[in-house]
Amino acid sequence: MRFLLNLLLMLVIALGIGFGLSWYALTDGRFLGAYQSGPWSTWLRAGSPSPDPYTRAYLTRRASLQFGQSEGVQFIASTDSDGRPLAGNCTYRVDGTTPTAAFWTLVPMSPDGVPTAKPGGPIGFYSAALARANDGSIQLFIGKTLSPLNWLETAGDGPFSLVLSLYDTTLFSGLSSSKPTLPSIIRVGCA
Amino acid sequence: MIRTTLYAFGGMLLGLLIHLVVILLLPLLAEDSVVQRIDALAPAVNTVVQIDDPKAGQPNPLRLDPELAYAVCRVDLSKGPGELAGTLPTSFWSVAVYDASGTVIYSTTNRDGIGQSLDLGLFDPAQTRLLAEKKIDVGAGLLIVEANTDDVFVLVRLHPPEEAVRARYEDALRKLQCRTIKI
Repeated sequence: MRFLLNLLLMLVIALGIGFGLSWYALTDGRFLGAYQSGPWSTWLRAGSPSPDPYTRAYLTRRASLQFGQSEGVQFIASTDSDGRPLAGNCTYRVDGTTPTAAFWTLVPMSPDGVPTAKPGGPIGFYSAALARANDGSIQLFIGKTLSPLNWLETAGDGPFSLVLSLYDTTLFSGLSSSKPTLPSIIRVGCA
Repeated sequence: MIRTTLYAFGGMLLGLLIHLVVILLLPLLAEDSVVQRIDALAPAVNTVVQIDDPKAGQPNPLRLDPELAYAVCRVDLSKGPGELAGTLPTSFWSVAVYDASGTVIYSTTNRDGIGQSLDLGLFDPAQTRLLAEKKIDVGAGLLIVEANTDDVFVLVRLHPPEEAVRARYEDALRKLQCRTIKI
């Protein structure tokens, strides 16, 4: 009986660590290849000709057309700056500055990659078509409630992510010494 | 107690082994990979397919940025070296070459001094050797990319600065030439 209990304990620990660690590696992955800055994360070797096994597994799971290293860097945020999952029934303010790039876009997408903007309107933000403060910082509002400055109207109440695509950026290229400064995501309110 | 600790330690080791097997086997066992999605979009080789931009509320399996326009071309290097050529607008564009596993083996942008002309040559290692021996005649200025797999595809991303020019930019993508270089 004691042998069976020990065996059961071993199997529970093995399955928990084996699949739990794999799930963590392919979602958060912070210590295994993903770079995280506040709520934003990116996989540094995603566009590399020789990605490490963790990055390769992440890319397989995502099955998307990732950027090549020369093209740009894509950050994804699934939570706000307080760590709460982004939800379609809430309004968010994206506040701050973005790393240097030729241009960038910010698009809300469902977990399946479906753009969650309201059909018939803009589908995302484009860096050259924004109202900015004098210091160049941005305030973007994302949600169903009419908001000032730059507002993107969304549809649906489900979970979503914000995808920030920086094109032709020197970030992580070795030419830029500073850490990326990414905007914060602040929950304004929920319906 | 010591025996239970040993079993727990054994469970941890077995868990790490399971983890490594999952991470290493996942790319080999995946049934819905990016390459299969591209095959469904562009089944024919040497044909430029302009991908429709994702719309709000519509499926976007390749998770493309809806602000950009896209074209893809599959190339089979077993039939000879491939070439993607054409002229694109002055606005930002980039090109990425993916191998049969969906890994980006080469990428560049028009900000790297290419200007408006795209002329990209794709070669396998044997063809690269022939190229070095000058047994394949290629034009000056051809960007030479060596691929280790025969089945590769090229994705061009083009940024229309305004929605009003999107149709014209997508037309420019459709006019790209994707072909096999005759040896």
